[in-house]
Amino acid sequence: MSATTRWLRGPWGTPIISGLLIVIAAILSLSIGVNPFGAGHQHGLGLSLDGPTALVASDLLMVAAALVAGIPIILKAVRALLVKVIAIDLLVAIAAVGALIIGQYWEAAAVTFLFAIGHALEAGTMNRTRSALAELVAVAPDVAVVIREGEQVEISAAQVQPDETVLVKNGAKVPVDGIVIGGTGALDEASITGESIPVEKSAGDQVFAGTISGGGFLQVRATGIGADTTLARIIHRVEEAQDAKARTQSFMEKFSTWYTPGIILLALVAGLVTGDVVLALTLLVIGCPGALVISIPVAIVAGIGRGARDGILIKGGEYLETSAKITAVALDKTGTLTEGRPTLTDVTVLDPAMDRADVLGWAARAEAGSEHPLARPLIDAAAAEGLPTGGLPEHTQPVPGKGIVATLEGRRVAVGNLPLLAAEDIVEDRGAAAEVDRLAGLGRTPMVVTLDGRVIGVVAVADRLHTDAKEMISRLHATGVKKVIMLTGDNHRVAEAVAAEVGVDEVRAQLLPEDKLAVVTQLQSEGFTVAMVGDGVNDAPALATADIGVAMGAAGTGVAIETADIALMKDDLLKLPEAIGLARSTVAVMRQNIAIALITVVALLVGVFAGGVTMAIGMLVHEGSVLLVIINAMRLLRHRRPAGGGGAAAGPAVRAPRTAPEEQTV
Amino acid sequence: MTATPATITHSLFRTKGFSCPSCVAKIEKRVGRLEGVSSVSVKFASGRVEVDHDTAVTSTDDIVDAIGTAGYESALSAL
Repeated sequence: MSATTRWLRGPWGTPIISGLLIVIAAILSLSIGVNPFGAGHQHGLGLSLDGPTALVASDLLMVAAALVAGIPIILKAVRALLVKVIAIDLLVAIAAVGALIIGQYWEAAAVTFLFAIGHALEAGTMNRTRSALAELVAVAPDVAVVIREGEQVEISAAQVQPDETVLVKNGAKVPVDGIVIGGTGALDEASITGESIPVEKSAGDQVFAGTISGGGFLQVRATGIGADTTLARIIHRVEEAQDAKARTQSFMEKFSTWYTPGIILLALVAGLVTGDVVLALTLLVIGCPGALVISIPVAIVAGIGRGARDGILIKGGEYLETSAKITAVALDKTGTLTEGRPTLTDVTVLDPAMDRADVLGWAARAEAGSEHPLARPLIDAAAAEGLPTGGLPEHTQPVPGKGIVATLEGRRVAVGNLPLLAAEDIVEDRGAAAEVDRLAGLGRTPMVVTLDGRVIGVVAVADRLHTDAKEMISRLHATGVKKVIMLTGDNHRVAEAVAAEVGVDEVRAQLLPEDKLAVVTQLQSEGFTVAMVGDGVNDAPALATADIGVAMGAAGTGVAIETADIALMKDDLLKLPEAIGLARSTVAVMRQNIAIALITVVALLVGVFAGGVTMAIGMLVHEGSVLLVIINAMRLLRHRRPAGGGGAAAGPAVRAPRTAPEEQTV
Repeated sequence: MTATPATITHSLFRTKGFSCPSCVAKIEKRVGRLEGVSSVSVKFASGRVEVDHDTAVTSTDDIVDAIGTAGYESALSAL
């Protein structure tokens, strides 16, 4: 098919031809001093051929224009009827055919022409609302340079084998997900995290397909290829989300299934009662539910697309709607409010026969087989002090919410909080409780270390607060969240110390994983819409139960992208208020759009019965309302990024919640 | 249909120019009419077309052409 025919078959072909015919018709009509859009062309039924030649020619051209623009509409209407759908095209088709029959050629031409041109514009603007995603698809890499048999070979990105070494040169796109095994470089990860500042990468770092090298040279071992890359997951996720129907949308669709036939019926009744065919046809035109049908999907596509661009993945329209209503946010302290990389702060020896190295050594070796976030700082500190940490315990048994019990060289080592002492039936604490109390008062996390049922000491770690924690909480409050509640397995003293520092409204400390769930359900029973933020590992039940489960720093974990209601790609706390702000803006746009659509229909109805609204005007206003709805949704895609360092202190997408159509920037 | 299921492929196309839900039926019909196409699903909001087809009978290019005939530009997508 040639480009021309494709173009003519495209959305712009018919309105342009039809428009040209209308112009020629109008010129002919004007040439003999007859207003082409006025009463000079009212002839009642049938095409009268006894008028001036120019007028007849003008009429014929108008008919031709109506046919050029109208036949595709009629075809669409018939096709839709074949699949048992009463489409909006049917309303227009009936109106246009009716207008031709009663001799209103200009009206028929205008209605079909405007409808066609509206469609073409809608297609273009809808593409723009999908642009955020198109950008993501566009960054998908197509070629990769790999090392095969010692040679550099350029292959398609899909053909890279797992564990193969891929080279990423300056300016090139990273073709696969992988781990850096050599070299250094700076990557622009905006496509994944929404962060535009390049990130330095060196051996051991994770890199993502679709990120762009801004300098340096990296050797990467491929871990994810093609559809198994984070970028592919994001794209897939976003598209599924855009296609998922929001509650309001389902309602609107149900509404329009009876609305369209209802309009036909209304027009029929009105026509029969008044005997006014023009009125009936005009009713058909203005009753078109176009703006109504499109008002919600277009907002969702724009909102979710905008989020994706900023590293915020929202599962779908329904989740947007729920997120906009969030009134309580429950945060897991570790890894959200704090950096989640605790470091060793104290080692207190409580057994006279031991020294610091013994206490730290036993604790670190016991933790060697543990997944717990507090294990790493002990192991790292022990390694840094030159203590042997190699080898796993013969047996490791995590005690949820309390600590860990391990068997080392046949000896039983327990590391954990005071309740663990009770669980281990240790009564003599050798001052452990007092030491735990002292350290906890300093906001540190103390752990008692026991060996063969005797306390040997206390180690403490502290987790640095995220620099943005305080700012995030104040922004959450600004977006309309009433209660921010901190959940933690730590003891009360530590929790209170942290809470006071960041300004959360409430603290629940010394929680077991199942307690977090209980807090969430309790908040829900108090009438809050609860968002739970966590890392997804030991708070999965609470995340699943909350109205909205938010996973932080999801870029590295495919599971979080797939399962979280909202996945924040970057470990950036300020993305959370931004996400809630975006949800609120999107829902506001949805409401405004429904209002625009309904007000248009009502105003036109009034206009028809009051007189003055003709078929052509009706179609013009109607198409205008459809475009207004799309343009309104496109506001969500506008950039409101704070300038790095300078600029407004108030964040970009964090705005006070708005209610329906007040902020109409025209 | 005498296609062996072994050659049935699932292909994903991304299109431009969707503006109304009626585009969906249009493309589904066009592509569905092609020999060797066993299922078509058109996602309106994201503008995707998913097709299960027998590559021995209908290539992805044929499908792009069919979508083009319906008046929409499209491209095969690997992701």
